[in-house]
Amino acid sequence: MVSFHPDSKFLTDFAAGNLPLSEAVCVAAHLEFCSKCRSHVQQLSDVAAQMMARLEPVVADEDGFDTLMQRIEAGESTPQPARSAAQRASAASGATTMPLVVQKLAKGGLQNMSWVQLGRSLRIAPVNVGCKDRQTAIYDIKAGGRMPEHEHRGEEITVLLKGSFSDAEGKYVRGDFVVRHAGERHQPTATLDTDCICLVSLAEPVKPTSFWYRLLEPFVQYRLSGFSN
Amino acid sequence: MEKDEEMDSAAPQFSRSAVPDPWAENVRLVAQTRDRAAFQLLYKHFTPLIRAFLLKSMGSGANRAEAEEITQEVLIKVWNKAASFNPGKASVNTWIFTIARNTRIDFIRRNDRNNREIDIEDIWHEPDSPEPLVDLQQRRAEQVIKQAMATLPDEQVQVLYKAFMEGKSHNEVAEELGLPLGTVKSRIRLALSKMQILIDR
Repeated sequence: MVSFHPDSKFLTDFAAGNLPLSEAVCVAAHLEFCSKCRSHVQQLSDVAAQMMARLEPVVADEDGFDTLMQRIEAGESTPQPARSAAQRASAASGATTMPLVVQKLAKGGLQNMSWVQLGRSLRIAPVNVGCKDRQTAIYDIKAGGRMPEHEHRGEEITVLLKGSFSDAEGKYVRGDFVVRHAGERHQPTATLDTDCICLVSLAEPVKPTSFWYRLLEPFVQYRLSGFSN
Repeated sequence: MEKDEEMDSAAPQFSRSAVPDPWAENVRLVAQTRDRAAFQLLYKHFTPLIRAFLLKSMGSGANRAEAEEITQEVLIKVWNKAASFNPGKASVNTWIFTIARNTRIDFIRRNDRNNREIDIEDIWHEPDSPEPLVDLQQRRAEQVIKQAMATLPDEQVQVLYKAFMEGKSHNEVAEELGLPLGTVKSRIRLALSKMQILIDR
């Protein structure tokens, strides 16, 4: 069961449309697993809509309705059928399928993404969401694999998409939205029975604390930035 | 036959009478019969509000002509997407806000000139998921929000307004008001809890 959720700041900034895309993608992925947060986002949208309804109306000099209808009739865009809600609802219900937002990011499927192998148990596929300040990527940790202990220079958001992992703070399962702040150190380990796949948004590059990894870092950063552009 | 009709109409009538939405019928007519007159009424009511929202939320980067173009784009989407509106899930008011919000995000991102690999509507979609039990609660919650909003103290209305209408993140609101981030967050949380939006953290 999902037990780690985005806080009120993430949900409010998301509903108001003010969350940078890298973080918004993480919230969207969590929402596909969590009806409670979906409901909160809906309520927050109601708040926004109520505020919009109370604004001082700004009336234009010209009515513009006929012009608009001409544009619509000129077929600038065609009526869209109701989007298949069933399709969306089923997306995250299967035990192995990825949330739709992740499927969109990994266009040709996870296996066709540009993976960078880091050590034996971790590989990373950067994705470009058009967000300059943060790195967005899919992490794949081999079953039982241990990531190097690292310290966060900036905030890191992890959404569990498959499998589970644990660190000193607890155990995280599919759908969990985990935030680590700058200065926190941890060493996540994937559980033994299955690979762990996560969506990660990182405010600044993570600083590995072990010596050998630090030697590797400039290379890793080079590879990541090469791929994310 | 007669019995079937009764069954069919019972549920929607119940939800409609519990939470009346004066605009839902107009959207239905636009969806089903492409009714221009019904659409014109929606246009007259919502265009000045959408325009007001976009002028505030698009920030100093946007001029009046851009705000007007985005306003028109929103209304074209209202016409085109009318069939996807679900009166059990949201009011027309909320549905139109989400379209305006998404069009605004898309406009801002368009100007980034950054080729992203994802569409805005894959992240922020309009409310359309089939969750019947949640739906009725949802529409009742909307009434609670409407009533409680009128009773909020000014300092809470101020932060909500900056977040939702001026398009500012928590961090930007904190910076602008010279308040710690924690204070902005707790003011918003207090306001939300008065509206019965109870987020754990």
